[in-house]
Formats: sequence, C-alpha cells, structure tokens
Amino acid sequence: MSKKLHKWRPVIACGVLLLSGFVAAFASHTRSPEELAVTDNTPGREGGNLVVALRSEPKTFNPALVEDDPSREVIDCLNADLIHINRDTLKTEPALAKSWTVSPDGKQYTLHLRHGVRFSDGQPFNADDVVFSFQVYLDEKLHSPQRDLLVVGDKPVAVQKIDDYTVRFSLAQPYAAAERIFDGVAILPRHLLENAYQEGKFSEVWSTSAPPSQVAGLGPFRLKEYVPGQRVVLEKNPFYWKQDKAGNRLPYLAQLEFLFVPSEDAQVIRFEAGDTDILSRFSAENFAVLQKEQAVKGYHVSDLGASLEYNFLFFNLNDLSSKAKPEIAAKQAWFRDLRFRQAVSFAIDRAGIVRLVYNGRATPLWDQVTPGNTLWADAAIPHPARSLDRSKELLKSAGFWWKSGGTLVDPHGTPVEFSILTNSSNAPRLKMAALIQDDLSRLGMNVHVVPLEFSAMVDRLLNSYDYEAAIMGIASGDADPTSEMNVWVSDGETHLWNLAGKPSTPWESEMDQLMRQQEVTLDYAKRKSLYDRVQEIVFQDLPVICLASPDVLVAARNRVGNFSPAILEPYVLWNVDELYVR
Amino acid sequence: MRYVTRRLFHAAFLLVGVSFLSFALLQWAPGDFFDELRLNPRISARTIEGLRAEYGLNESLPVRYERWLLSIAKGDLGFSIAYNSPVGPLLIVRARNTLVLTGAATIIAWTLAIPVGVWSAVSRGWPSRAIGFATSTLLTIPDLLLFLCLLLLAVRTGWFPVGGMFSPRAADTVGIAAFWPSAEDLAAHLILPAAGLALVALPVLIRHVRSAMLDVLGSPFLRAARGHGISRSRLLFRYAFPVAANPLISLIGFSIATMLSGSLVAEVVLSWPGLGPLLIEATLSRDVYVVVAIVLLSAVFLVLGMLVSDLLLFAADPRIRQE
Amino acid sequence: MSEQVRQCAKLTVALVLLVVFHAVVLLAGFFAPYGFAQQNRDLPFAPPTSPHFVDTSGEWHARPFVYGLADDPENPGSYRIDATAIYPLHFFVRGAPYKIAGILGARMHLFGVDDPGRLFLMGSDSLGRDQFSRFLFGGQLSLLAGILAAGLSVSLGIIIGGIAGFYGGWLDDLLMRGGELFLALPWLYMLFAIRAALPLQVSQAQVFLLLVAVVGLIGWARPARLIRGVVLSAKERNFVLAARGFGASLAYLLRRHILPEACGVILTQLALLVPQYILAEVTLTFLGLGVGEPMASWGTLLSTLQQYYVLSSYWWMFLPALLLIPLFLAYNAVADAIQERLKSVAL
Repeated sequence: MSKKLHKWRPVIACGVLLLSGFVAAFASHTRSPEELAVTDNTPGREGGNLVVALRSEPKTFNPALVEDDPSREVIDCLNADLIHINRDTLKTEPALAKSWTVSPDGKQYTLHLRHGVRFSDGQPFNADDVVFSFQVYLDEKLHSPQRDLLVVGDKPVAVQKIDDYTVRFSLAQPYAAAERIFDGVAILPRHLLENAYQEGKFSEVWSTSAPPSQVAGLGPFRLKEYVPGQRVVLEKNPFYWKQDKAGNRLPYLAQLEFLFVPSEDAQVIRFEAGDTDILSRFSAENFAVLQKEQAVKGYHVSDLGASLEYNFLFFNLNDLSSKAKPEIAAKQAWFRDLRFRQAVSFAIDRAGIVRLVYNGRATPLWDQVTPGNTLWADAAIPHPARSLDRSKELLKSAGFWWKSGGTLVDPHGTPVEFSILTNSSNAPRLKMAALIQDDLSRLGMNVHVVPLEFSAMVDRLLNSYDYEAAIMGIASGDADPTSEMNVWVSDGETHLWNLAGKPSTPWESEMDQLMRQQEVTLDYAKRKSLYDRVQEIVFQDLPVICLASPDVLVAARNRVGNFSPAILEPYVLWNVDELYVR
Repeated sequence: MRYVTRRLFHAAFLLVGVSFLSFALLQWAPGDFFDELRLNPRISARTIEGLRAEYGLNESLPVRYERWLLSIAKGDLGFSIAYNSPVGPLLIVRARNTLVLTGAATIIAWTLAIPVGVWSAVSRGWPSRAIGFATSTLLTIPDLLLFLCLLLLAVRTGWFPVGGMFSPRAADTVGIAAFWPSAEDLAAHLILPAAGLALVALPVLIRHVRSAMLDVLGSPFLRAARGHGISRSRLLFRYAFPVAANPLISLIGFSIATMLSGSLVAEVVLSWPGLGPLLIEATLSRDVYVVVAIVLLSAVFLVLGMLVSDLLLFAADPRIRQE
Repeated sequence: MSEQVRQCAKLTVALVLLVVFHAVVLLAGFFAPYGFAQQNRDLPFAPPTSPHFVDTSGEWHARPFVYGLADDPENPGSYRIDATAIYPLHFFVRGAPYKIAGILGARMHLFGVDDPGRLFLMGSDSLGRDQFSRFLFGGQLSLLAGILAAGLSVSLGIIIGGIAGFYGGWLDDLLMRGGELFLALPWLYMLFAIRAALPLQVSQAQVFLLLVAVVGLIGWARPARLIRGVVLSAKERNFVLAARGFGASLAYLLRRHILPEACGVILTQLALLVPQYILAEVTLTFLGLGVGEPMASWGTLLSTLQQYYVLSSYWWMFLPALLLIPLFLAYNAVADAIQERLKSVAL
C-alpha cells in the first residue's frame, strides 16, 4: 500500500466495522419475530435417539415425486404443510398457515402464513415458497401424484400471492374437504430448488443420493445421513416452528433413525431384540407373540381398534358385450340379481373371518365405512347375523333350486360355479377366500379360489375384465368421503365392479348424485346425511360385499414418551415432534 | 490361446442371447411397475400414464431393447424404478454382500470337505459309514427347512444376531465411509448364513472328494509307490491328492458359477441384503432393468465359472495339455 | 461280502419305503381321516392329538381313544386337554367321500373318531384343517408334479443329449451352448405369464401341474449333458462301430445299443431329480405360483413356516417338512445304489 493510504488504515477499519454493525442491526430488524405454534402435549425431555424400522428403502426425498409409503414416512418428518389434519381428532388445524378466511362463495381461501419461520438451513420462509411449491406440484410435465389431490371440479387449484405472508387459493367450485387438501402437501424451499426447476431438472433433485446440505424443509427434522441399504438418519431441525407449553422448542429428539428391515417378521424380531423402538403395521398373529413378552421386555402393544381399511368381495358387473366372454356373461345373470348377492352376503361367516384371519383383531363390516371413522360411520346400518336359511330363502325366491346331491342350480338348470380372484401374496385375503369358499359350498355353490400375482390380477380387473368375482381391499387415505370419490362414482377409475364410466343401475346413479353433492356441501350435518345414504345403498344394493377391517396394531418401548398412535397414516410418527425418550 | 478366444466368443453370444430373451420374457408377463398405483383411488389414470411414458414403459420391445443395448455399451446398466437410482451402484453393493456370504461359505465348505472326504475314503469301518450317513441325511434336508431352523435357533437362544448384515449401532462407531464398519460385527452376522450354506454344499463336496480319493487309492501307481516304502502321509498328500484334485477342479468352477445365485434362500430367510431378495422384489414389482441386470450378472458368473474350471484343468492336467 | 449285503439291504429298505409311501399317498382318501378342505373353525392351530390306551383314572381301554380339546382360558389361542371327553378310535369308518385316482368314488377310511372329537395326528392349520390329511392329499399333487417334471426333464434330455452326443460337431456345440442359455434365463417371468394367461375355467390342480411341467421342460440342460457324455463314449465302442458298419440307422443304434448303456445314468437322474422338483414346487409356492385354495400341496404346507409366528409357536407345522426327509433319503439311496451297480458293472 502506498504511504498515503497507510495512514488511513485504522480509520477505514473503524468505518467498515461501524457500517457492518448498522447493516446487521438493520437486517435483524427486518427479520420478523418468529411466530411459533404452541402445542398442548406433555412437555418432554430434550435429547435422545429413536429408531424406527422401514419396510423398504425410501426412493426419493423429493415430496413432489413420492409415490410409495416408506419414502412418504421419511418425507413427512422432513417437511411441513400449510394446514394439517390432526390424527387424533381427524379434523384440520393450522400449521404453517396460522389462520385463514373463506370467501362467501366458498371458492377462495386466503391463508395467512406464520412470520419468521425458517427452513432447516436457516433461510426464511414466505409466500414465494408456497407459490413455487404449488407451481411444482401442479406442473403437468412432472406427473406428480400430488397433483391429483389438488384438482377440484376438474380444474387444478390456482395460487396467488397477495403479499409476503398471505396466499390466496382459488377453487373451481366450493369443496367440502378444501382444507384437507393441504394436508401432506410439503412446502418446498424456493431458494434451493428454483434453479433446477427452471432448467427442467426437477425430477433429479433430492434423490436419495443428494447431499444432506442440499435438502431442506420445514419439518421437525432434517436429513443427516443416508447409508444405502441400511438406514437413513435424521437430526433435529433447530429452526422448527413449534414449541410446547413450557416454551421448549420442538422436537425433543436429537436424532431419528430409520432402519431398513424388509419383512414384517424381521421387523418384529428386531423390535423384540431391542433394535428398534417403535413398531407399526404388523399382523394380529405377531401381536399375540409380542403381547406375551411385553411385561418382561419393557415395551407395550396396543390395539387401536378398526383402521380405515375395508376388505370386500365383489362380482364382475361390467358390460361384457364388447369382450368375447360368453361364459362370464352367462354367469352375470346370477351376479346381477340382487337376491343372489344378498344370499352370498348372508352366508359369509364374518365372525369367522375376524377370528381366523385376524386372530380376533378386526371388525366385521357390512358397509364400507369402518367404526374407526368416528366422524362418518353410519351407526344406523344394521349388522344382520349370518343366516344360511335366509340365504337359501333368497336363492329360492330368485328361482334357484338344489339337485339331489346338494348342488345349487340356476333356473335354467346350470350348476352354480364361479371363481374368486385374489392376490397370491396377500395372506389374509387368501384365507378369507378359503373361508368364503367353504361358506358358499354350504349353499351348494362350487367356488374356486384363483390366486394370481398382483400385476396379473390388476390386468384382469382393470383391462380385460376376465374374472367372475374377486376379493380386494382398499385402505382409505383419509377419513373424509372425498378420498373415496373414485370408488363410488361411476366414472371413477376404481369403481371396480363396473368400469363402463356410467351408471348401469338406478342405485348407481343415486350414489353418483349423492357423492357429487356431498363434495360441494360445506355443512357437516348435511354432508353426513348424504354420505349416510351412500352407506345405506352399499349395504342394501351390495355393489361390493364388505367383509372386515383389520385393527391398527402398534407397539412401542416403554421409554418412548408422548406416544399417541392414531388410525390414520402415519400411525405412529404423526406426532414425531412431540415424542421424547424418558 | 485360440481355445480361450473361442470360449469368449461363445460367452458373448450367450450373454446377448440371455439379455434379449430376458427382455422378451419380461414383456410377455402382463403388467408393469405402476400397476400398484392403479388400485389407489387417490391417483388418476392420467398421472400413471404420464409416469409410464416418463420411464419409457409404453414403448415397444425392440425400441426398449435397442436403447438398453446402447446404454450398456456406455457402461450404464439402466435405471431402477423401484429404487429411483441407476442400477449399477445398487447392484454393486448387493453383489458385494452376496459374494461376501458365498465366499465365506465356500471357504468353510472346502476347508471341511477335503479333510473329511479324505478321511472317509482312507478309513474303513464306522467312520466311513457314519460320514456317509451324515452326508446322505444332510443332502436330503431341504435348504429352506435348514435355514428356517437356523433362524429359529438364533431367535430362541439369542447366541447369534437375527438376520441382517450389520448391527444398527455398528456403523456409528466407525463412520459411513468405512467399507467394513466392524469386522467383528460382520463376522457375527455372517456365521449363521455362511454355516447354513456350507452345510448345504458340504455333502456333495465330501462325496466328490471321497470318490476321487477312492479312485486314486485303488490305482496301480500308488500301490507301486507304497511298495517303495513311502510313508502313508507322504503318499496321501504328495502322490494321491494331486491326482485326486483333478475332478475337484471342475467343482471349483461350479462353485464360482453359482456364487451369485446359490444363496437366494439363505438371503431371504435370514434377511441378508444380497442379490437374492433384490431379484425377488424386482421380479414381483416388475422392475425390469434390475431383473435383466441381475440375470446378466449371474450369466457372466456362470460363464466365468465354466471358463475358469476349464482353464484350471488345462493348466493342472498335463494330459489335457497334450491333446 | 458283508458290504454287498449291506448295500442290498439298504436298497431294499429304500425301495420298500418308496413303494409304501407312494401307495399311501395314492390312496390318500383311505388313509386320511378327513378331507383336505374340511375346516374346523373353532380349532385353528390345534396341537397333535395322540391316541391313548390308558385314561386319567388309570383305566385301560381295549380300543384306543383321543381326548377332546377345549380352549384354554388362561392362554388365549391355546388348548387344553378335556379329559372328560373321550372319543374312541374306530377302524374302517365311513367318512368324507373321496375319489381314488380321480375316478372311483369311496367313503371308507382306515380310521377315524366320532364327532365332535377330532383326530389331528399332525395338528391343524390356521383354518382348523387336519394337517395329516392335507399332507397325504398334498402328496398326491406334489409327488405327481415331481415325477412328471423329472420325467419330462429326462425325456427331453435323452432326445437332445442323444442327438448332441451322436452327431457331435457344431450341432453338439450349439445344443450345449443352448443348454447353458436355458440355465441362465429368468424363467420366473415366463411362469408368471403362463399363469396369467390361463383361462379361469382351468382347474387349480391342472394349472399347477402345467407350471411344474414347464419347470421340468426347462431343466433339460443337466440331464442332457450327462446323457451326451454317455452317448459320446458309447459311440466309440466296438460293437456300435460294427453295427454302424452294417448300416444301422440312428434310431436302431440308440434303441438297441446306446440307450441301454445310458440306462443307468437315466435312472439315477430320475431318482435324483424327483426330490429336486418337489423342492422346486415349494419354491414356486413361496413366490406366489402355488396351487389355489383349498387344495393342498407340500409347498403350501411348508410355506406357512415362512411366517415368524408359525415358526415360533406351532412346532407341529414342521412335521410335513420332517416327513419329507426319509422320502428324499429313500430316493437318494436308490440313486446311489444304481450308481454303485453302474460302477461295478463298468469296471
């Protein structure tokens, strides 16, 4: 440096220091004070490490591309949504959106976001991130499975930024479950992902090989490390926007570990051995095995009652005129007769299914809504007892009769014989099929069980319609009826028994009307009466013959605090931010 | 040298044939990876179609095969839809795990088979008969049953870790980058599956060693050497065994050939993270490129095994060299 | 001398065992007290009930009997013996109807107990079905499948191995390389494809046998290689050369001279392959290609053991697997004996 400037060095240094001090003060002043959500759980102890088993490796950490459950479990711990469904009450509650208003026509939702919230990498969160996230989810070229959940009235929701902390969502029609569509829709960090998105490389970001520093979210945890084939480790997100009543910032856990244990049996074995702390989604038989040792080994098992899954038997009622299947078409004369289906329903030993397939840990069903769905189950639906006599009466009135050997014969003299399709890798449904086959043999029906590999079965059910009857199960993703639209509406893609796209019976048209109406009715009581009627139709007209719903079974080590399992996914980790280690 | 090139040419033909037929077979079985999503009421058919198009699953067989061939030429084994990552790295880790297991099992099996087989051939009376009986019984136990019993043993006694390759805490102590987080931990997990596999392979090996030794022991040159007064142990190891080793060399080739495919049952029952469970999972979920890659890798090992045994035989047996 | 006598005795025992086993399985309906599909829904996973001669009060019964089973209130899911319920065993009873070899109808069973007593010699499964009866009926399917597959494998092996060995040269090379190709392919997919393509009307047993037949057809490579070896060496024998000199056709040579040489190898292969294909059937069931409910096969009986709770709580489910061991031993003993004779004859 020249001699002249040399003299001014100390002054320049002071000036720079003062200036930076001002800038810093100014910057921190513009950063809004944090608006934290306060939870009402029992305050827990800080620190600790929890280990949970995952059925398979997560396929991605990218919320827009996730389609499988194990990835979703991990992603749910890394991200947060605007409005969240509380798994205990099954109702919505504020999350990243601290409040919202609805326009009088029910089509516009204005959400007010929390101020001062930061992503797990310290960067601030605001409405730009929300707009960017929805832009990504709704992008048709990305094929995100989330997109389908954000389509209302055949149009995707429109997002508009009002200001830095206010966003407006516009729906094409009033939607009863509008608040619920935000649940699980993770808000993505624009500062990390926008470039990739603009360059069209979004489907490659946040794969499992992404470096943890590149992955950020608003959830209770952030990615620490991923060891392929073994485990993924999450660590506490210091910027998480929730605190408990005592003012401690959540989550309590310092670390959350997911171990990859591919089979249920292996998971049970490792839980017993003490390798994992929480276990969920296991069978009733394993429940009995675990129950025996719980006092000794320091864990407890709980049966939470009926889940939202329902298993059912249904017949092929598709219009087969375009497909050359004369044999099946002939048998459809029986299947379409309501009395035939009712006879089958009366003959099925649902209590036997509960006892023998689920070891007693299930609930028999006569319509599709399980008792676990406290908000929507119609308590007025009768539960008729099994009665072979009633079945025989019904068959007689439909013109069937019995030959001397006991074989059931239709009015034309053809013996009643058909096959039931089922997934060969699903053991409970195979057993159900065996039980039903035995039940129906008491009516003189000759039933075969055809176990097929999953893809082959899907091909027959959805493409070729080359089946006579099948046993399937559907696990509702949400308690709300709108999650089942595709099943009960005639042009729905999982309207399994009749995929023609339009109703072929009066009760199907009635169901269509009711389902579409409840979709746009905002008043809960009115919706309930509409959906009750849908359940009545399912019970009376038997598009599907509901069988049973397995209970939700969970287990946790005694040292896990605030363990509060729910019947809606994610069963045990929905309140992972409140869990702690004693 | 010409022989080797001829064999390599055959091998190449085999591999191309295997890859094409695998693709054809996969196309023939109905359904693809996204069938699972079709029965989910919350995902629309349009999204599924879009996903299918994105992964190229709606294209015809020749187009896909051609694309796959081109990528193989560049060293890219394809993409696993289930794991959302390239097949290559996925396969390497799993293949390494399988080779660790089968390698250990092969070493154990051969180490036991040679002395036991030789002893059984040399001794008369009850040891020979007892070994014969034991090998017969072992031969007839279905391997599924054997591994289930081993699993039950581990669970009931707690002496062995129950399945898996590493303990959950083992990786903590040394760090992610380490190839063997803890050799001791690995060994503990390795005992049961390797022992099981060795038990499965043992009877056949013992029998072969025994019959080879018996053949040699009866031969005139050995009797002549005995007549020269050479001691029994020197006879056994310097004279008899090298000759008896000849038919055993082809067995080594067979061991190599089945190194990747022989441990499927063990891996599935004892949750060893090798190629077996990956293959089954990929087969059932129609993860096409993974299946083809694994099949190809197994075919490579098959060919390699046969080539190695032929070459070893060539090197070891002067009689063949003269032909 | 004693060695030979011992070998002979071993072979006899093995053959007798095989014949008895197959006869019992063939007449499964007669030897099994119940039908394979007969469910007892209040007795799932019941332990084996054994016949007794002496009851709890010390009284000796001339006719053996079984006790009744009741739920154990202290241990839900388990059973305790109800000593007050005594059900005598009867022989040659009239029971569930069955068909001998699928044609002849009959109702006579070797033994049984009166209702509501149950005779579970090997316990019951998850739907209360008698495991012993299912083992016998399942044996019909599994043994048939094993023999069928082995037969097909060896037949195809004879044809291809014979041609390859006889003609030699590039044909031999091509066929053997083709064999290696066959071994390497993922046939599982083809099996899935066949299974998926079959119409619904085909019965479960037929589907199953078809699949196993395909597995058998695929496995021709190993027998073919062995037979080719035999044919190669037989081809050079003097008497064969002489016959060729006389202008004998390939068929004549194969039939009169070469195949008798190969006979030993063929029989050995058959005896070794049957157990292998029975086990292959177990693997197929494991992967979802098994026979449908309510039919039983040894594969479906063994596949229940995959589940941990069965493995750890219900020991009697292992019994079908254990009973297979003597059967496989017998087959292997027969194969060994044939090989021994081959060697002694060849020398």
